[in-house]
Order: sequence, then structure tokens, then C-alpha cells
Amino acid sequence: MEEFSSEIRFVSLLDASDADLIRLSDEGGLALDIAEMKRVQEYYRRRGRDPTDVELQSIGQAWSEHCCYKSSKVFLKEYLMSIDTPSVILRGDAGVVDFDEDHAYALRIESHNHPSAVEPYGGAATGIGGIIRDVLCMGAQPVALIDPLHFGPLDFPHEELPKGVKHPRYLFEGVVAGIRDYGNRIGIPTVSGSVCFHEGYLGNCIINVGCVGIAKKKNVLKNAVKTDSDVFILVGGRTGRDGIHGVTYASVELTEDMEEEWMGGAVQLGDPITKEPLIHACLEAAERGFLSGMKDLGGGGLSCVVGEMALAGGFGAEVNLEKVPLKEEGLQPWEIWISESQERMMLAVPPEKVDEVLHLFKLYDVLATRVGHVIRDKIVRVLYEGKKILELDLDFYTAGPEYCREYLYDAQSLGKPEAIPEEPEDYNQTILKLISSPNIASKAWVIHQYDHEVRGATVVKPLQGKMGYACHGDAAVIKPLEHTFRGLAIATATNPTFSEIDPFRGGMSAVDEACRNIVAVGGFPDSLTNCLNFGNPEKPDRLGLFRETVRGIGHVAAHLGLPLPSGNVSFYNETEHSHVPPTPVVLGVGKVPDVRRCVTSDLKEQDNPIFLIGETKNEMGGSEYLRIFGGHSGTVPNVNVETLEKSLHAVSRAINEETVASCHDVSHGGIAIAISEMALGGDVGAFVDLSKTGTIPTSVKMFSESNTRWLVEVWRGKEDKFLEIVSDVPTRKLGMVKGSSVIIADSNIKAGIFLEDLSEAWKRTIYDFMGGTP
Amino acid sequence: MKVEEVKVCILIIEGTNCEEETSQAFRRSGASPEIVHLKQLLGQDTRPEETRKLGDYQILVIPGGFSSGDYVRAGAILAARIKSRMEGALVEFIEEGKPVLGICNGFQILVELGVLPGIQSTMSRYPTASLGWNDSGRFECRPTLLENWNKGKCIFTSMLERGQIIQAPTAHAEGKFMLPKHREKELLDTLKDNDQIVFRYVDAEGQIAGYPWNPNGSLFSIAGICNSEGNVFGMMPHPERTYFGFQQADWTRNVPDNGDGKAVFESVLDYVAKKF
Repeated sequence: MEEFSSEIRFVSLLDASDADLIRLSDEGGLALDIAEMKRVQEYYRRRGRDPTDVELQSIGQAWSEHCCYKSSKVFLKEYLMSIDTPSVILRGDAGVVDFDEDHAYALRIESHNHPSAVEPYGGAATGIGGIIRDVLCMGAQPVALIDPLHFGPLDFPHEELPKGVKHPRYLFEGVVAGIRDYGNRIGIPTVSGSVCFHEGYLGNCIINVGCVGIAKKKNVLKNAVKTDSDVFILVGGRTGRDGIHGVTYASVELTEDMEEEWMGGAVQLGDPITKEPLIHACLEAAERGFLSGMKDLGGGGLSCVVGEMALAGGFGAEVNLEKVPLKEEGLQPWEIWISESQERMMLAVPPEKVDEVLHLFKLYDVLATRVGHVIRDKIVRVLYEGKKILELDLDFYTAGPEYCREYLYDAQSLGKPEAIPEEPEDYNQTILKLISSPNIASKAWVIHQYDHEVRGATVVKPLQGKMGYACHGDAAVIKPLEHTFRGLAIATATNPTFSEIDPFRGGMSAVDEACRNIVAVGGFPDSLTNCLNFGNPEKPDRLGLFRETVRGIGHVAAHLGLPLPSGNVSFYNETEHSHVPPTPVVLGVGKVPDVRRCVTSDLKEQDNPIFLIGETKNEMGGSEYLRIFGGHSGTVPNVNVETLEKSLHAVSRAINEETVASCHDVSHGGIAIAISEMALGGDVGAFVDLSKTGTIPTSVKMFSESNTRWLVEVWRGKEDKFLEIVSDVPTRKLGMVKGSSVIIADSNIKAGIFLEDLSEAWKRTIYDFMGGTP
Repeated sequence: MKVEEVKVCILIIEGTNCEEETSQAFRRSGASPEIVHLKQLLGQDTRPEETRKLGDYQILVIPGGFSSGDYVRAGAILAARIKSRMEGALVEFIEEGKPVLGICNGFQILVELGVLPGIQSTMSRYPTASLGWNDSGRFECRPTLLENWNKGKCIFTSMLERGQIIQAPTAHAEGKFMLPKHREKELLDTLKDNDQIVFRYVDAEGQIAGYPWNPNGSLFSIAGICNSEGNVFGMMPHPERTYFGFQQADWTRNVPDNGDGKAVFESVLDYVAKKF
């Protein structure tokens, strides 16, 4: 047995007082609380020795909120992870789900909030790098990127910015540039996403990045070693001081003075031109059967990946840390062990394939280094120049704490008095104001900066319609394989304005919206993944919001039988000034039977009839209309799961039986905005009469954001067939495609706006803030 | 030779990222494409069975992407690597009349290499044109319409009518075709006289128009040019992204049987099959 290195520093823990323990956690940047430190102390008392500094750092990483989900797991298990279907093949760094007989798709979304708030360009870029690796390490080729982004208001006055907070325009510009420069360079299309502006994101922007991949089933890999003779080969970038303590920083609230420390290390540096060949080499190694398993180096770096891969295979690991290729000289062993430098993957390789792997990576000019091997004992042992610097039992090391922290939820916001503004005098002005609001207005400024066509597989694109007039669609469709017309429909949804009033309904609404986006293009929801962005879970009211949200997502997903084979939680999105509204981002993936039957949101042909599927209700809580024109309602759109399920089947069938010319889900801004967007994309007008949509005020008919609704343009002559297909869901004919303006009636005509005026209002807003010409 | 015997070398280095779909386009049209790393042509770090010779192929394609990150200037690094290690092989390939295609980053590389516009010699010592930053100052991905302006010299557009308009998306930050200011008129006239201008950006009515129809501010709305022999061709838009009708931006409105980009691949394969 190797002796501990004489140069290693032992930390006096065995006799430490409570105050000492807290000081040790703070000084080491461990972010462990007193109970956790005591558990560590207990372990070492049993071992009869003090920990080395490397061991303490490792435990800090492994037990961080970011790595072990200690505050959230209890709720995730109860409401989300319990949903299981035979279609789920594997749950790992990404979820893997059945696609066809020989293929599976992988999906995952995660946050890169904290780094992006400090250094938006690098933070967002490395977010893309990380999510790509999560999909890649399952043996899947990434085929699509998805980026839901949330910022403070673009017009927030500079002089009122809290100290240390960066302006939303700066963050928006930097984040989009980071995604653009990384995603475009590695050649994975960014096909979907959303941008939301809200005061609650001023101090903490929410940057989520999602990825979908495709794999041959025979190449799908576990994030684990297979045999006790496997060799660990570290591939990709070199290891440096960038990204030290990323996960422990992500597990505390951001404060003003943390910024300098972050800039010194905790934000990683992205290098897409190392990543691009790394993707090729890893996939080729998987295809040629060289690998036992693969896992990406993300949060916690080597310290997390080695132990987790070994334990998942039922073994332990020994690592020779001096073998790790470094960016610079002079790194301490503990820095090498926990660095989160980017573009690195760990391969578990059977000994007879090692030379093949090293040759393959050399051809691609990607570094590949043998750094360790599997051992039979369930321990992780780290040697540096032959001397031991760490030895931990994996069962202790990887069994992070799990809490059922105190949570509190009182539906106080629901009880606040309703305050509904008077009916508008001028509906035209109201619609123009809504369609030009940053949350609804054209996102072309963002979309055109992302290559959404690379790989040549984007069949339904983020902007849809006549050349020169394209408008927002509901979901993107990728045709991932050459030999089949099957496709993947990809959509995201989040409704923080619903969630801040009623988190349960907000969670339900996000699932409803993701699903209705998928069927709107002709797909059918197949699986979900989510990124849950919340405040400090140690505060019971924040955790109460989290639990309600998860319950809402789980309620709808369970009824629809939609598994969530992966997911991510981001806590501590708060500063001393503010905390983010509950932001559950749902990413939905649907299957498309034949991409050639997909439809888009743009109106197609004069005189085609237009139908509304679904019921408009007086549920104005959290609507864009109330946000802009003032007022409050505690009634957030509800979801009736039975109606949702029936409606998803009906719309999907109507599209796949080719009765539908165009389809758009009704969401932000209600029917008035949905019909306007359809008209803009088709460069053709529409007449709709809302008088039969209930006994509710005209403003509610126009602007309510009730769930489970679509506007559907039906081909003339296919009306009867369409009505037969949708006969068991609420369906009303509203009007037809007509003329060159959008006219909305409620018995008599209430609004009539020329397309040019709508277009001008819709397309300018973001460009006016960010520069450039629409 | 038969089309299925036509070997296409799809050249890559780190950062090339459109090789799969470009390779598929040739395969769908019946040829035998192979994705070849530059190091395989140079014999660096390769085993004997992995080493390749440029002369064994009938077509060379440099696909889109960000070769070596495009950090210096788009295409500059790969162009320098090719020029320093295999200039002779490339010149010989071109002078044998074999086709060379550069799409997007590939076009940038062919211009950096000096094989485009290739007015007086197969490969000029210094570049005589440039693909500069888009007028918008940003990367732009958007559908564009291209008019075939070639009278018949370019072997990549023989299956298109003169004046025919095709759709292919652009996705680049540096795609503004420029000529040296002091020789701009003279060189542009030469390109016209030599029938070297192939594609020009137009609007939905088929008229020359400004941004965003011309997405980068290119001189004379130039989207693609060929050399004076017509066998070296570069274009900024991506024809491999409109091989099928359902890849086009507005396919749910006007459903074409084939994608517009297909003609580029079929034209060059037809030429090679007849010539060799």
C-alpha cells in the first residue's frame, strides 16, 4: 500500500470544534454546512486520521447542491422520477429514449446561470460545451441545441442598477454571442429557445441550454466502467486553473464581492475548436466498439467523474494525477483534481483497445492520456508522482447528503384582490402595444445569429413563412437520420409570470405549452426534460415554490405518460436585492411520423377557414396583457389533463391526415397575437369573430392565455374531415384567411390592423434595443 | 466513367463542420464521397491504410465550417496549411480539369489560396479577392435566393437555366465578396467578360436588392464565382442544405419535388462522368 506523500497537507479535523469546522469550510471554499462537516469529521474519526486537503476539496465538490441535488432529490423522486415508460433506455448524464428499432435519441437541459451573470460570453459558451458533452457521453451525436434565456428588462435605467449587477442589454448581447460563437463553430444547429424579460431576472439572469442527440442503440454507452481491467483515458483539452470551485459557487447566493473571485477562476474558458474534433473522435471510438463507457468532465472535474464512473460499474479507481496534461505549470494536485476546465471527456477503455483509442485521437489532433485504471476495491485512490494524496471510500464519498428541508407554501398571492383594467377604448393600439412588447416581439435578432441549418436536417425552422416575412413557429423539427422520414419535434416552454402567482399551475402550464407546441407542427410528445431555476432552497418559502412547481409538472406529465429521463435543478438564483420568479423550463421532444407532413404557423391561402381548438377562460393571471396594462389576477390558466390528452391526439391526427394548412398554439398575448403572427408569416390577412368563445369580456377573449388551445387553418374542402377528427374536443369556427389586414370581431368589429402596421410593431423592438436592421 | 465510380474527396480539419451533409449530397446523387482529414493527404500520424493521395479522387470539396476556428481570418489557416504542404498536388489537380468546390468556409479558403478568382493563373501568389465581414457586423443565418448568372462556363451549374433562381441558406460572418478598391472595376469587368460570375443574390421578385436579400453587402451582389476555366467554384450559400424540397425555407407553402441545391451536385457529377 502506498504511503501518503510527505508533501501533502493534512487538515486538522479530528479535534476541531464547531467553530473550527465552519471556518475550515469557509476557508476551503467547500460550501458545506455544520452538519455536513460533522459527518465528514465522524468519517475520519472512524478512519483514525485527518483528511488531506485534496480529500476535503473532493468531498466539498461531491456533496455540493450542484452535484448531489441534496435539497431537491426528495421532491424529484416523488413527482418526476417515478414516471417510467418502457421507451426509456437509459438515465445518465442525458436521458436516452427509443426512436426506432435501431436508434435512440438523447435529451438533456441544464443551467449556466451563475457564470453567465458574471461573464456572459464565456458563461453561455461553456454552457453549450457542457450540454453537448452530456449528450455525447451517452454515445449520441448531438443534433440540436435549444436555449431558453431570461433577463431583466432591456429598458432598465442604468442609474438604478444595483451595485455589481450588469445591465440586461450587456448580458443579452454577451450570452447570445457566446452561444453563437460556440454553437456555430462546433456545427450543431441552435433550433429552438425563448427569450423572456422580467424584473425578477435583473440580478440573476437564467441561461438554460438544452441538447438533443441521436445514437445507434448498439453504441449507447453507460457513464460507467465495465470491468476491473478498464483503463481511464482522459481526452480533449488540457487542465488549468479556470473553473475551480464552479460547483461550490453555484451552490451559494451571488454577492457583490464574489465577482472578482469568479473572474479569477470559477468561470471556465470555452474552446470550440478543441470540442469539434473531440465530438468526432468520441463518436468514432464508440462506433468502432473501443469503449466500455464514457462520461464528461463537468462540475467537480476529475474528482466527480472518476469516482462516479467506477462506482456505477461496481468497482473503484486509482488515478495518477501527474499524468494529466496541464495548461500551465505549478498547479497544486487538488487544483488538478477539481478543475472544471472545458472540453474534457473520460473514457473507460478495455486494455486491448487502448492503443487503438490513442491512435484515433492522435489522428484528430485531440490529446488522449492514460491517467488511471479500475481497481476491485470500492475506493478512489489518487497518486501524485507515486505518492498517495487521497484515499476515500466511494460509498461515503459519493453518498452525498439528501435533505427534506423545511418548505412553506401559502397561496397568499392567489388571495390578493383582483384588479382588472377597464376594457380598452382602442383595441388596435392594445394589440400593437402587445405585439411590440419585448416578450412577444420578433426574436429574429437572436435567431439569425445562430446557425439553425447546419447538418442540413432542420426541416421545420425557428422562423416560418413566406420568404422575407417569416414569423415565430411553435417547434422545430429535425430529421436526424438519412434513411427515414421520421423526425424529432423540439419545443420549450416556461411561464414564470404564471409560476410567481401560482407555481402549481405554472408547472402544469409549462408541460401543456411544450406539448401543444409539439403537436402544432405535427409531432406527438414523447418525453420531457426540465431545468428548474429557483432561489435559495434553505429558505422555506423558496423551497415551497419549488415543491409546488415540481408537483404541477409531475401531475400533467404522469397523466400523459411522459417520462423525464433527465433533468437539472439550479438553486441559489438570488441576490440580496431580489430572487428570480420560479422558472421551470420544460423541454419537450416529440416524434414526427413523416416530416413531409409537418405544418408551420404561417397562413397559407385566402378563404381557408380558421378554427379555434380549446376553451378560452377568464384566467388572466400572469398574462402579458395584465403585465403591460396593469392589474392583478390570482387566476392563472389551469390545465385539465383529460382535455389536454384528447386535444393533443386530435390536433396531431388532423395534421397527419393532411387537413391542416397551418397551426399555431395560443400563448403569450392570446388569440389576438396568435392570429396576428399567423397572418404576418403568411403575408395575408384574416378575419376572426370571437363572439362564440364564451360570455366573457372582449379583452379576455382576445388576450387570455388559457392553456390547451390552438388556432388551425383548415384546407378548403377538408373541413368535414377535420371536424370529424376533432369531434370530441371543443372546436369553433372563428373565420377565414382574408384580405391584407387582421380583423377581430366580437359580434361587431373591434380591431382591424393592416399587416404593414403589425409587422412594423412586431419586428422592430429588439433591434431598437440591440442595434441592427430587421 | 460511371457516376458511382466518381470519388469525391471531402476535405476536413478541426472545425470543418458541414462534411456529413455535403458527403450525403454526393452520395444521394450516386457518387462515392469520402471524408478525408488533411493529415491523411499529408501522411501525418496515419497508418498506411489511412493515407490518401489527392490524385486518386476526381472531385475535391472543401465544405463549410470554421476551419481552425477562423480565428485569424476566415479560411486563412487551412489555406496556409494546404499551400505550404500540397500546393503542387492541388495545382496539378486543377490543371487536369478536375472540379474543386468550396462551400461557405470552403469558398473563403479557395479565395485565400488564390485559386479563386484564378483569373491569370491557376493559383495566384496572393489572394486577389476577399470575403470580408458582413455589413451587419454579425454572423447571419437566413434563407437567400440566388440567380444563376453564368452563361455556361461553370461546370457546377450546367443543369440550371441562365436566370433561374434557386434557394439556399447562408450562414456566415465573413461573406462579403470584395475586390481591391483600386482595381475593382477592372477586375469586376474581367469576371463578367470571362463568365466567372455564377450566383448573385436577388429578392423574391428576382430583382437585385439590398439587405437582407443580399445578406452581407457583397460587391455586385456576388454569391458565388468560378475560375477562368470554370472547374473551380466557390459559393457562400449552402446548396447541400437544400438538396431535398423539404429542406427549403418555405416548403410548407410551395412544395417542390426536389431541392434547388441538388442541381449543383448533379451538374458536376454529369461533367466528370462525361469527361473522365
